[in-house]
Amino acid sequence: MSEVTKPRHTQAHHGTVASYVAGFILSLIFTAIPYYLIVHKSLSKNALITTILVFAVLQMMVQVVFFLHLGREKKPRWNLFFLGSTVSIILLVVVGSLWIMSHLYHGMSAMNVTDKIVTDEAIYQVDGKQAGTCPGGTGKTHEIMMMDDRAVPDHIDAHLCDTLTIMNHDEVTRTLIYGSDGKSATYAGQSSLSVRKGRSVSIPLTELGTHTFYDQKLNTLSGKFTVTK
Amino acid sequence: MEDKRTLESHEAAANDRVGFGFWVYLMTDLLMFTVLFACFAVLRNNTFGGPTGRELFSLPAALIETLILLTSSFTAGLGMLAAHRGSKSQVLTWFGITFILGFAFLVLEIKEFAEFAHEGHSWRSNAALSSFFTLVGTHGLHIISGLLWIGTTLVFIWKRGLDSHLVRKLSLLSLFWHFLDIVWIFIFTVVYLMAFVV
Repeated sequence: MSEVTKPRHTQAHHGTVASYVAGFILSLIFTAIPYYLIVHKSLSKNALITTILVFAVLQMMVQVVFFLHLGREKKPRWNLFFLGSTVSIILLVVVGSLWIMSHLYHGMSAMNVTDKIVTDEAIYQVDGKQAGTCPGGTGKTHEIMMMDDRAVPDHIDAHLCDTLTIMNHDEVTRTLIYGSDGKSATYAGQSSLSVRKGRSVSIPLTELGTHTFYDQKLNTLSGKFTVTK
Repeated sequence: MEDKRTLESHEAAANDRVGFGFWVYLMTDLLMFTVLFACFAVLRNNTFGGPTGRELFSLPAALIETLILLTSSFTAGLGMLAAHRGSKSQVLTWFGITFILGFAFLVLEIKEFAEFAHEGHSWRSNAALSSFFTLVGTHGLHIISGLLWIGTTLVFIWKRGLDSHLVRKLSLLSLFWHFLDIVWIFIFTVVYLMAFVV
């Protein structure tokens, strides 16, 4: 009946019962495999994340090819072109967001936000207690130089409100972690300090006690500073 | 004969235009989902001391929802084939099944939401749950509008019979439904499966 009046161009788009069944079976398989992998935890963390994402993309491709019949339309293939540009925007937005936010997260880990703001903004009091900043200006400046994979000197005695300047004379960027091997610590709300090659970083000495630090990549490069009243 | 052919090519061109317009809508909708996905990916661990997805979600329930939606996408495809064959009764059957499956999916999703809220884990609890409810809820809203669309179209077909206008409507409808299926696959992977990666 209506077979005769059917517009010719659509025939290519429709697919057949067989193609729909094939698509359905494939999509069931592509659902079952990642589910099984997650339930049985048979892979390491990163391998697992990659694998299930790959299966999600495969699954999407099955839907696009077998159910949406994309790519079988007449040229020019505007639909495919539009899908392609949308996917690139998607990648930009998702990867970009995760990238930026993870950097922000590392730069400002949530538990120490208050400490960091107190130091950066030189806030005198928090909740009625002295916050450890130096309203009366700073005292002496102490220097630690990093050269030839060593910190010179590796120990400094300072008074509260002195300044410590760490200089990097080596050809690599140094990331110094507060604490000693295996035991992490924070200083002024931060767990690490980054000094680029040829540059120096100054930190106000507002926290009493002895603080140790070591290089992220080179554990033998370490030092400490003691702050007394 | 000549007239009929030009008429057909006119209609074909109109179909192409409408199809392309709808495709553009789907892609912009996809961009909206992308932003919600990005939000969720960034905020998923910010539970403010509350339970993580791992403690909240039920994997078997998510799997059942996925299978229901996959099957409904399949039956929508079969319904579309029936529409191109011009078989009204089969169209009503296949899209009827699609409607029932979609409705079952919606019921399961609302049940899950209600359970979370009842246990005190609502969208107001923390950033992770806010982004979860926004992402999954937006998909749920799309499912609701899809169900309304299927329902009204089926009533039209049942009363008026299958004409070319309704076949075109059905083809856009099935496009929409497959699209929702694809979005759900990513929700299943990124929201539910990822929560159980240690």
